[in-house]
This record gives sequence, C-alpha cells and structure tokens, in this order.
Amino acid sequence: MINFEKVFKRYPGNMDALKNISLEILPAELVFVTGPSGAGKSTLLKLISSVEKPTSGTIIFENMNLSQLEARDVPYLRRKFGMIFQDNKLLYDRNCFENVSLPLAINDIDGIDINRRVRAALDKVGLLNKEKIMPISLSGGEQQRLAIARAIVSRPSILIADEPTGNLDREYADEIMNIFYSFQQVGVTVIISTHELPITPIKFKKIHLIEGQLNNQINHVQLLS
Amino acid sequence: MFNYFHNHIHAFNRALVRVFSSFGSSLMMFIVIGVTLFLPSSGLLIVENVSQISNNIAYDAELSLFLKKNIKQDQIDFIQSALDKSLIIKKTHFESKLTAWDKLQSKLNLNPLDTGISENPLPDAFFISLNTFNEKEINILISNLKNIDGVKNIFFDAGWVKKLRSILYLLKIGLLLLGIILIIVLIVVIGNTIRLQTLTHKDEIEVSKLIGATNSFIQRPFMYTGLIYGLGGGLITICTLKLTIEIFNKASINLEAMLGGTFILKNLIWQQNLSVIIFAMLIGFFASFFTAQQSIRKFEIFK
Repeated sequence: MINFEKVFKRYPGNMDALKNISLEILPAELVFVTGPSGAGKSTLLKLISSVEKPTSGTIIFENMNLSQLEARDVPYLRRKFGMIFQDNKLLYDRNCFENVSLPLAINDIDGIDINRRVRAALDKVGLLNKEKIMPISLSGGEQQRLAIARAIVSRPSILIADEPTGNLDREYADEIMNIFYSFQQVGVTVIISTHELPITPIKFKKIHLIEGQLNNQINHVQLLS
Repeated sequence: MFNYFHNHIHAFNRALVRVFSSFGSSLMMFIVIGVTLFLPSSGLLIVENVSQISNNIAYDAELSLFLKKNIKQDQIDFIQSALDKSLIIKKTHFESKLTAWDKLQSKLNLNPLDTGISENPLPDAFFISLNTFNEKEINILISNLKNIDGVKNIFFDAGWVKKLRSILYLLKIGLLLLGIILIIVLIVVIGNTIRLQTLTHKDEIEVSKLIGATNSFIQRPFMYTGLIYGLGGGLITICTLKLTIEIFNKASINLEAMLGGTFILKNLIWQQNLSVIIFAMLIGFFASFFTAQQSIRKFEIFK
C-alpha cells in the first residue's frame, strides 16, 4: 500500500530529518511509529500524507510516486487520508457539526449526504448529542474525538494520527486508542506516531526511529497477545 | 455539477456570515467603497447634465449671414432658395435692413436727425438656425455661402458653446482620471481588507489545505466577501447620488426666483443604477480574487 524506498528528508539548514528510510505498510495494518522527540516521527507521517516532499528517494502510494507529485494533485491525494493532529487543529469558530462536515464540503458532497455522514461520524466517536456545541466547550478528550470524527467522515482508507494522545491523560488516551483499533478492525490502515506503545493486547507493526534512522528491530509484526 | 453549485452557495453563505459577524467593519467598508465611487460618479452626473444643456443650446445657435448693401431683391431670393435647399439648416429668418434699422432706433431711442446719421448703416441679413453641431458640416456650409454673390460676412454665433463643450470635455477627462485613481485606491483598500481576513482565517486555511482543499475552494468565501462589499458599496453610492440630486434640485427650485431660472439634475435611470452596482461588485470581486489568491499561496505547506 505504502512503500518507502531509500527516502531522505532534509530541511533547509538542518541535518537530515530522515535518513535512508525503506519500509512497507500493508493495507489494514495498525502501525505505530515510535521514537524519542526529534527522531523524525512527524516528518515520516508528513511524507506519507504529502504535507512534505522527500529530498530524495521514492514513496509509492497506490501506484503513485509521491516524490514526483505535482502541487496541483496534492489536495486530491490528501483527501484519501484521514489526518489527526496532536493539537487537533479544530476550527473554534465553527460548531462540532460544521467542523466534521468540512472534509465533505471539500469533497463536493451534497447537503443530505453531509447530514447523514456527519451524524454517523459523530455517533461513532460518541459526540452525536454535541453536534451544535462549539469545540471550545468540549474536554481535551472530546476535542480529540471530534478531530477523529472529522478524519473519518470522508471514509478514508488510511488514518494518520500524529501523537493523538500526547496531550491527554491515560483514561482519555485509552478511549482514543480504542477508537483507532475499532477502525483498523474494519479494514482501515491506521498509522499512529506515539511515545508509548499500547498496553491493550493487539496485533500491530512498530516502526522505531532514532535520529532519523530506522532502528534495526523495526518493521516486524509484534504480537502482544 | 449540482454539488459544485452547492459548494458555491455554501461559500457564499460563509461569506455572508463573515460580513455580518463583523458588521461594524463591514459597514465601514461599504461606506468607503460608496463614498469613493460617489466622488467621480457625482462629478460625471453633473457634467453629463450640463453637456445635455449645452447640446440643446448648440441646436439653437445661429449663423448670421450679412449681405452687401447694394444687393438686389432677385439676389436675396436666390440666397433664400439656396438656404432652403440645405439639409443642415433648420429655419431661416430674413431681416431687411429697414426693419433692422427701425428696431435698432426704437430699442436705443435714437433719432437719426440727432445722431447725424443720414443713411441706414445696417445691411440685409439672414439669421439661420442649424440642426447640427458638426463643425465640418457647418464649415462646408459657411464656405459655400461665402461663395454666393451678394454675401458679405458670415458669423457663427456658437463660439461660447464650443468653449463650454471643450471645458466639459476636459472636465470629463479629469473626472475619468480621478475615477481611475480612486478605483485603484479602492482595489488596494479592498485587497488589504481581504488580506487581513486571510490572516484572521489562517487556521482555517491551513486545516483546509491539510485535509485536501484546493486553493480555489479556500478562495471562494473571500471572493464572495469582496462581491458583497461591492454590492453594499454600490448601494451606498446610489443612495448618496439620489439624495444629492434631491437636495440639489430642491435648492435649485428655491433659488429660481433669485436666479431667474432653474438647473435640474436628472435622476438616475435603473440601467445607470444597475451599472454602478455591477461595477462596484466587479471591483470588489477582482480585488478580493487576486489578493486572496496571493495570500492563500503563501500558506502553501507542500514543499
């Protein structure tokens, strides 16, 4: 599904953020990208979702070489991903319903379908009764769940979450992770960058980065149960 | 296709929400556009009205054709028939030297014996009203008339009208230049407001880009905001123009007795009203289009 082949990423004036990364992510996999701060976890996710372009190497996604993607094609590629950010990036001048409906409006989906799909997404994350509420009045965990609803509303085949539980306490974090597991179990590829691996018994792939390089123990399937 | 239009309606609604959520500053924007467009349009309105009056004066302007003193009646008849044949002559009036002399004496209360004038100094004359103001046609007519035997002098009495028209023409040019300058100012003001709005909606733009919005999708609400600004500004221009015309005409009627005549400004017809509004909307639309396009490109995250 996603193939990295000798990928390097260097930011102007900096050392390489990623060095010689080669990996493969298969459909419906649950992938944890781990490593200390500054290891390149976020950069890796940004390369997958075409927020950044690799300096060299190739990234293949659905037979497309993302390193050669034209800028005009980028928005259409990003619509294939559901993205969740550590700071959730909600729009605080819009209510929950409007936040979740944004990707559908971008995808030119009409009004009746929008209502149905937004409510389904909010229901999935347990926020159906809060559709008219402004995000500022939600708790941290609820805000992150709202961000997940926005990410899943357009039914992407890949969910990418950059430290989605980084700002949450354990209870909320477990709640969020359980939502991700439920998506993976219905065939969605879920890629999560995190400092901590789950304690829940579940099958996942771990990609461990240290100083922009893959740790030699990566890219194998770990079974915790 | 339906979804595409639905998307535009959605963008328009968002623009309306933006305009009305900060109604104070939007109203200021309407006033800025309205007043800026009012200045050249009111000037042009006055010049246009004065031009129409000058055109009417021009049609009543006369060509004075003075004949030689010793001219015979058959020559006068020949000139009369020549004048009747000309298409650009509206009407002719022949004033014999005797009639003219009588009129002058009665007007000035002259007695020929007192003044010592023994013979009538005035010539026979034709006073000709023209139905054109085309200088070329008039010059051809004058040169033709000069060639007729018995014609001594020809005077074209509309010189001052020509001067007035030249002044009006210069005024029109000046107002057009002023208009162009003010439109540039308007584009800069609207553009700057839209640029500030893109900064206010920076988060929204970034999130939209991250989840796959195209630049044109993000740009739409800003373009519609510019369009609404233009609409509001255009309406203010129309209202201000109508109010000015009303006040001016009322004042003109009140001063009629003192000045011995009135100068009434014609009210705008609906096509003119519509043109002003469409013009203002176009300015708003294009100013916001180019500014939003540039600003949104700056938020590009794909590097």
